Parts: sequence; structure tokens; C-alpha cells
Amino acid sequence: MQASTETVFLYPPTPLSARCYSHAKVETDEEFDARWVTYFSKPDIDAWELKKGMNTLIGYDLVPEPKILDSALRACRRLNDLASAIRILEAVKDKSGPHKDIYPYLIQELQPTLTELGISTPEDLGMDIL
Amino acid sequence: MSLAKPAMRGLLGKRLRFHLPIAFALSLVAAAAFKYGVTEPRKQAYADFYKQYDATKEFNNMREAGIFQSVRPTGE
Repeated sequence: MQASTETVFLYPPTPLSARCYSHAKVETDEEFDARWVTYFSKPDIDAWELKKGMNTLIGYDLVPEPKILDSALRACRRLNDLASAIRILEAVKDKSGPHKDIYPYLIQELQPTLTELGISTPEDLGMDIL
Repeated sequence: MSLAKPAMRGLLGKRLRFHLPIAFALSLVAAAAFKYGVTEPRKQAYADFYKQYDATKEFNNMREAGIFQSVRPTGE
């Protein structure tokens, strides 16, 4: 094993600046959310960007915040893409995995937007059963 | 009655932080159990068998049983 004395001091809590992490600036949750809301808010967003954005977003270890989903649903409205709007709802339900309390919360938060844009949920359409 | 906001970030990370150490530990236990439950007794059994093995005696037993082609039983 190593003979250096540093091995003794590897595990006590060290301040962030002293750890062996990269010195890249860590983005806060709010900055992350704001960036994605802005991405989907682009007035002339195209279909490719919508799909790419959603696929990238779904790849992260998180369920998107209601405000990001709201922005994405409005982008679907601008693109006249109801199918993608409903698919987004299916995707976040799947993304929640075993945590069954997330999807009802999201629907609750998005209900005004869903009503305004006339988007039916998969449950409304009977599409949630296999 | 409105729903409270649940945790929505880092759910997989949390699950992995919990389950991966257990998975690694159980794998090591399984490997150790197999090593000490199967392979070591097996090696010991072979060692014990060959400790007192008399090759010449066994050869002569086999010879008398007539299984060889190159050497016939004594007396033929």
C-alpha cells in the first residue's frame, strides 16, 4: 500500500475547493431549469429542436420541473404537435419510475396549461393502460 | 386539497448509492461462499486422496483387471 501520509486524510469532509473534483462551475438547479425553459421558449423552435430537447432532458437523472414541461408543451402548441404534447406527459410518467407521487403532482401543476392548450392526458384518452 | 411537491431530482443517483454497495458486497459474499464452500473442499478432497496414493499398487490392480492393451495381467 502507499507509504504516504496523505492516505490518512482522504476521507474527512474536505471543503469543495480542496477535493479532487474538476474546477468547472457547478450549475444550480434554478439555472438548469431556467436554461431549459428558455430553450423551449424559442418562438421559432423547430420540430427537430423540440425532439432533441426532450430526448436530452429525459436522459438526465431528474424529472423535469413543471415550468420546463409547460414551456415544452407550449412549443408543441406552436408546432401544432399534439402527439408530442401527449408523449411528453407519458415520458415524465415513465421517468418517475417507482415514485408514483410525481406524476399526479405534475398533472396538478400543469392542469391550467393543459386546459388552456386543449391537451388531453393519456389517462383521459384511455392510453395509460397497456 | 393540493399535492405537495415530491423529490424530483437525483432519484436514480440515490437508488444507486444505496443499492450498488449492497450489490458489490453481496457479489463478494457469493464469490467467497463459492470459494470456501465448493472449490476449497474440492481441492482438499483431491489433496487428501493423493496424499496416500500408491501409483504402483493402483497400476497393478488395473493390470490384473485386464484393462490395459500394452501389458497383460500376470500369469497370461
